[in-house]
Amino acid sequence: MRIATLILAAGIAGVVALPAPVVAQGWKPTRPVEVVVHTGPGGGSDTLARAVASMIEKEKLVPVRLQVVNKTGGNGSVAAAYLAEKKGDVNTIGFFTGVWLTNPLVATEAKVTLRELTTVARLVLEPAVIAVKSDAPFKTMKDFIEAAKKAPGTLKQSGGSITSRDNVVRQLLQKSTGAQWAYISFPGGGERISALLGGHVNMMVIEPQEAGEHIRAGSMRVLAQIASKRLLSFPNVPLLKEAGYDVPVVPQVRGVVAPPGIPKENLDYWEGVFQKFVQTATWKKYLEDNQFEDGYQNGADLLKFVDTFSAQMSEILKDAGVKVVR
Amino acid sequence: MDIITGLWNGFAVALAPINLWWCFVGVFLGTIVGIMPGLGPPATIAMLLPLTFQMAPASAMIMLSGIYYGAKYGGSTTSILLNVPGESASVVTCLDGYQMARKGRAGAALGIAAIASFIAGTVGVLGLMLVAPPLAKFALSFSSPEYFALMVLGLAMVVLLAGRSMIKALLAMLVGLWIATMGTDLFSSTSRFTFGNMEMLDGIDFVVVAIGIFALGEVFCNMETRESAQVLPVPKGLRNLLPTMQDLKDCRFAFINGSVVGFITGVLPGAGSTIASFISYGIEKAVSKRRELFGTGVIEGVAAPEGANNSETGGALVPLLTLGIPGSGTTAILLAALVLWGFKPGPLLIQEHPDLFWGLVASMYIGNVMLLVLNLPLVPVFAQLLRLPVHILYPLIFGISIVGVYTVSSSLFDLSMLMAFGLLGYLMRKLDYPAAPMVLGLVLGDAMERALRQSLMMSQGDLTILVARPISAVMLVIAVLVLLVPVFGSLNRLRLQAIESED
Repeated sequence: MRIATLILAAGIAGVVALPAPVVAQGWKPTRPVEVVVHTGPGGGSDTLARAVASMIEKEKLVPVRLQVVNKTGGNGSVAAAYLAEKKGDVNTIGFFTGVWLTNPLVATEAKVTLRELTTVARLVLEPAVIAVKSDAPFKTMKDFIEAAKKAPGTLKQSGGSITSRDNVVRQLLQKSTGAQWAYISFPGGGERISALLGGHVNMMVIEPQEAGEHIRAGSMRVLAQIASKRLLSFPNVPLLKEAGYDVPVVPQVRGVVAPPGIPKENLDYWEGVFQKFVQTATWKKYLEDNQFEDGYQNGADLLKFVDTFSAQMSEILKDAGVKVVR
Repeated sequence: MDIITGLWNGFAVALAPINLWWCFVGVFLGTIVGIMPGLGPPATIAMLLPLTFQMAPASAMIMLSGIYYGAKYGGSTTSILLNVPGESASVVTCLDGYQMARKGRAGAALGIAAIASFIAGTVGVLGLMLVAPPLAKFALSFSSPEYFALMVLGLAMVVLLAGRSMIKALLAMLVGLWIATMGTDLFSSTSRFTFGNMEMLDGIDFVVVAIGIFALGEVFCNMETRESAQVLPVPKGLRNLLPTMQDLKDCRFAFINGSVVGFITGVLPGAGSTIASFISYGIEKAVSKRRELFGTGVIEGVAAPEGANNSETGGALVPLLTLGIPGSGTTAILLAALVLWGFKPGPLLIQEHPDLFWGLVASMYIGNVMLLVLNLPLVPVFAQLLRLPVHILYPLIFGISIVGVYTVSSSLFDLSMLMAFGLLGYLMRKLDYPAAPMVLGLVLGDAMERALRQSLMMSQGDLTILVARPISAVMLVIAVLVLLVPVFGSLNRLRLQAIESED
């Protein structure tokens, strides 16, 4: 107990080098840990955080309770700012998603980037597939691209906001092929799918699980998958690269961060927990059930990823005509 | 035939003692959640979700859905008693519900809300059972131009919500539309009217505005009038606390209107219960013989939106269960729940898991009866709340408003917004600006702008897309007719005056 207090005090004072004996013991949380997410209960990040928290508790990797706290608002920037304010706090971690990376690029109001926080672990990469309605004339990705080339701007894609992965994929494909089609934003996933199934748009980027059922029912067809290797559920659908479009695979990323300025023991502890966690069978099954890719990286690698990803995104967004502010 | 066997099997599932129990637990929790402002069904369901993993999926679905439709029964309670809309869909209920309470008819308002909820809730389930698949197909034919027309139709209701001055109503509506534009623009990721605040990137929460304008505005206004000690009238005796036969008669059309409008709006993934409640209120007022009394406490002004709000549930389950498409926050969580229990929500769900679908449908009939039995006896209990002296009642409203807003976001920024809108509500009352048009603009503005821009992106800038499609054209025509209602009204008055002067 006292050791933790000592480290806490040291952390707040910003003293990094502590006497060695304390470090040898290793740090362990002694009171419930706050897990900050930027979505409300039931949102994507909240669901993942709650699932991970209960799996970690079940595997007894952390001796205390993990308590999910919803700090909604500002497209994730409220949660990021909350973590930044908790500088040196050893009893708080947070779950980030891609929006924590892209939002600061386009909104001056969002001041906290992942660089201002402590990166702990990257956990998940979410693959996606490119789907069309089953009665559409496009049988392959090439059919779609060629059709888009013939009549620029007439084909349509439904998707999320202009900074979402859906649009990034479109930008990359348009740039590498010279084809052009319209991108229509819908706020909810349900509306995007309705627009495709109702024949109001021609194509969408969709999560594999969602597409799976529509394919089984015969209402959708998948042209290509956006993943680093073929998904188990789509063994016969080519990756974008295999379909002849060698564009970067833009990951939809999720992982863990901590407040800035935490002591090294604390960071080591969390890195250790997640390193063990990603090897458990429970987590592997969870990834498979949700058709996620294992995206594990430790804190240092994640930091490098953040830099490359932000640079890449900033280029893509500029191409898309979005005002990039950082 | 299929329906009869299906329903038969469904009741076999739903009437199993364990499922009856979970159905009761669901609707009971739902009622409580509905009464408490702030804590809505999506948050409750998300938090209870982990507990359902040990349950049979059918039982779990029955319970979670019970919370969903149960919450809609309770939602009107604080609107009627305290002018605090507990959720966005019960804002309209404030208009006439709170006025009824002030006239000593709180019991009747609460009672009719429960009865309308029961009738429309049941009609919603009937719709879900009978016409789900074809209707889901119809809903898919709805695209952005149709949604735009629907929102225009909704916005046209402003002429019906206006008080004495149409100009003031339009001004209030414009402010509502302006607030709706605040935050990050979906299409360009540009920040609009955020004034450098990161909290504003998501825009202003509708509930914050509604509670501020309605509840706090009312409290501030009453703080000023010093002749306060007066208690709101509450009649004695159970009989006087429940709706009379005349009330039920007055609401006959409202029941039908609420049921139908709510269900259809619910089926559309881009609409929702708030829009349903506004539209049904507008229709009710447009066809009413005592149109001028709306807003002063007419009972059908409570029955129609409350009905619509409840029958929307049945509608919203249509795209979820037949296509795996969630149309609202709550159905999105139910979708996630289905996945977690190992189902594959999609077009084949009903076919492959008839027990789940029919068990749910049957449980919803039972649950609605339970809710009526649960809610009607609560009416006299809640009505007693108004016996509280004003110096306790108003601080209570104040406290409930703050708690309600804080539970939604746990954000101090939202609390300061709440105060700001409370002051705005106070000023609007003082200067006789109606609050409803502003709230209407706020509800519809966002969706309307989106639908318009989506339509124009689809047509590459060609405006005729809005009128070239039959459904959207029809709705736009109706909207124009609604806008002409006051013109007809004044023409009629002129005619009557002319007749009188001839005499």
